Amino acid sequence: MRSIWAVAINTIRQALRMKIAAAFVILLLILLPVMGVSMTGDGTLKGRLQTFVSYGLSLTSILLCLLTIIVSVYSITSDLKQRQIYTVITKPIRRYQLLVGKLLGVILLNVMLLVLFSAIIYSITVFMPRFYNPTETERAVVKNEFYTARASITPPELDVSKEVKEVYHRLKDANQLPEDMSYSEIISQLTSVRKLKRRAVSPGYMLPLVFTDVKPLDPNDSLFIKFKYDVAVTPPDSQIIGRWIVGDYQYIRYGEKIDTPIYDEVHKYSIRTTHEIEVPASVVPANGRLCVAFVNHPLNNTVVIFPLEDGLEVLYKADTFSGNFIRAVLLILFRLIFLACLGILGSSFLSFPVAILFCLVIFFTATFSNFVIESFNFLGQNLSGVYSYTIKPVIQLLPQFDKFNPTKFLVPAQFISWILVAKAAVIMVFIKSLLLLLIALLIFSFKEIAKIII
Amino acid sequence: MEHAIETISLTKVFSDWWGRDKVIAVDNLNLQIRYNEIFGLLGPNGSGKTTTLKLLLGLLHPTKGKSIVLGGDGADPKVNAKIGFLPEESYLYRYLTARETLDFYGRLFDLPAKVRKMRIESLLDMVGLKAVANRPVGTFSKGMARRIGLAQALINDPDLLILDEPTTGLDPIGTRQIKDLILKLAERGKTILLCSHLLADVEDVCDRIAILYGGKIQAEGKVKDLLLQTDKKQFTTNALSDTVVEKIKQVLQAENAQYEVTSPMEKLESFFIKTVVTAQEQAQPTSGAVSTTHIGDFLTSTASKDSILDKLVSAKVSKETPADATKTKYVVPTQISGSKPDKELLSRLTESTEPTPPKPVTQNEKVKTEPVQPKTSEKEHIKKSILDQLTRRSVEQDEHREQSERNKSNTGDASDA
Repeated sequence: MRSIWAVAINTIRQALRMKIAAAFVILLLILLPVMGVSMTGDGTLKGRLQTFVSYGLSLTSILLCLLTIIVSVYSITSDLKQRQIYTVITKPIRRYQLLVGKLLGVILLNVMLLVLFSAIIYSITVFMPRFYNPTETERAVVKNEFYTARASITPPELDVSKEVKEVYHRLKDANQLPEDMSYSEIISQLTSVRKLKRRAVSPGYMLPLVFTDVKPLDPNDSLFIKFKYDVAVTPPDSQIIGRWIVGDYQYIRYGEKIDTPIYDEVHKYSIRTTHEIEVPASVVPANGRLCVAFVNHPLNNTVVIFPLEDGLEVLYKADTFSGNFIRAVLLILFRLIFLACLGILGSSFLSFPVAILFCLVIFFTATFSNFVIESFNFLGQNLSGVYSYTIKPVIQLLPQFDKFNPTKFLVPAQFISWILVAKAAVIMVFIKSLLLLLIALLIFSFKEIAKIII
Repeated sequence: MEHAIETISLTKVFSDWWGRDKVIAVDNLNLQIRYNEIFGLLGPNGSGKTTTLKLLLGLLHPTKGKSIVLGGDGADPKVNAKIGFLPEESYLYRYLTARETLDFYGRLFDLPAKVRKMRIESLLDMVGLKAVANRPVGTFSKGMARRIGLAQALINDPDLLILDEPTTGLDPIGTRQIKDLILKLAERGKTILLCSHLLADVEDVCDRIAILYGGKIQAEGKVKDLLLQTDKKQFTTNALSDTVVEKIKQVLQAENAQYEVTSPMEKLESFFIKTVVTAQEQAQPTSGAVSTTHIGDFLTSTASKDSILDKLVSAKVSKETPADATKTKYVVPTQISGSKPDKELLSRLTESTEPTPPKPVTQNEKVKTEPVQPKTSEKEHIKKSILDQLTRRSVEQDEHREQSERNKSNTGDASDA
């Protein structure tokens, strides 16, 4: 263990004293404050903050990723090339200990730099409003929509399969099934129709939707109902009047006596655009089962539908901005750990320039993993046999950096749950990184250190 | 286990990118190196010396055959813990300072902090780099880097020391010092495998040598056996008057022998050392390595095999005549330990048992040696030492003389072990 530590410290010293890290550090130290001043976004304070956080974190992430690749690859290939490894490996240190030591050094260096730069970004973000004298409304907007971590909850998926089957059999018996559609196509169409039916309200009727596990951080805060409605017949002014009742399900449904207050107001909003209604968080009952009911005003004279994907969700402050920021930084750390392992794998059998190229290709592919996976899946439909046993598993090994992209969450102030962080840790660190490391250890253990190829 | 290192038909073939055999670097090498032996592996450039070492240490995989190092595999950390290795160049981390370098290697050996610190200071002192200990190794000259390389090989107080061209890039004092160190370590029961093409180095220290060519052993044996010219004799005396020389010539002519009478030259090595030591005594500044003659305390004190020798050696310090010390002071400062002057005397005395017409360079040495003559009784305990060799060389040029001395040293060695 002590020898692993010695190698780790040596790796950090190498990165710092060989000035590999210095270039990146100086670049970031200059760029981050400059970005803080120059980024204006859409001109509002919120826009400013969003652009800064988004660009600042992305830049830090990209530069640290490059640094990780370079340091981890350089550290091992230079040892091999300049032959310091001759004196190191002949000491009582096992080869895996040497690699693990290098990895530990790179990760420690990353942690140090990441802490430094995220602290800079965090402080600039937090202190930015002081320099712009925002109006009271702007202040409220950034407080509710930026300096927060809002969890979004959609109504639980409804199980309509039984109903769908019934309808299917009924149609089949009546011989009314469309000729040109396959079974699965019919089923999926029937399912979406059934589901939409559950999200539709006729004039004068009420649509109660239950959200479970609503756990706002502070009951004195607000929660937000984000919705968009669609209509069967467009009203003359394209607006819909509705009464919103938010509170305990037991009261709204059965009129039981309850302790928590009930929100009950009428709003008029335009159709087919997204709106947010602010509701005091105190309406949420202790069991976290929140009912949001919409009463379609008889005057509307049309059926109102909340679309399945983005029709209705509840947003509430689940955590502070700081907590969310820390989790976002953790997501960056995971990708750095993955890249460190990748760099070590590359340098265990490739020379410096080739290993760097190898890592960069994987890094950029991983950054657009969604696109890559989708396009391969699309192509793969035609060559399924070969594809699904060769390229597909390899593609699946990509770490999907875009899926766990922290700016995607921080910009809309979306809550990054610990579950998501844990998922990223398990997939990216404990499965994919460990796999890479094991392959690297295996290659390196059998490597002929002083190999000469003529 | 009677052998510290044993190779059984060790073969290494380097192949090209397509896997075709190209160069046979080591060819069916059967090498046996006993414990407590200084073994020299000689050969011209590209004869497979370094490849052999790399095979022994597991840096290369043998194509065929195997090697046993200290009863195990040379790549096993347990074996590595007892090995000190100095590669053909001191491959060091340029960004680390000398002290950090040694600390790093010390940590790899898992040495406790206290021991590590003590050894680092001791080694820095020994290799004469204490003054530049906080300078990055990248700024060091080749010789200075070599010294650090040597220090790192010794930090674990190894049982087996593998040195690949240890003296390349070193100044003569450093070279001398490494040779002394090798002898000293062997005296303490260590095994040393020395790889070099500098014949003088090998000849000065090695018990046994093997000459490699084309990856094969061409000759192997004890240095004295290989080099002794039994058909020639050589005398060395102090300065003789012409009349005596004439007399001897007449005797030799009567014997019908071929002969040559000259005054021996001082070896450039000892002359150089004298000059530098004088400069050091005048405290002239240097930005490079300081020439020292200490040998790390822990290297000389931890060995247990010949503690009797230690006692004898230390006991003799009191017998030393102060006059000796002052007269020989130019050779080496006093740190070498009190044992050396005595050894010098003794070896000198043993030489004189051979029939030798005097042929001196420094007369006063002769004068000095005579009064102490009775000490010869202890001669078998005394072996190589720094002063011994330095002074001897300053007096005699003759190689045969040196060799015969070493024979004596070797017999002494054997009895110690």
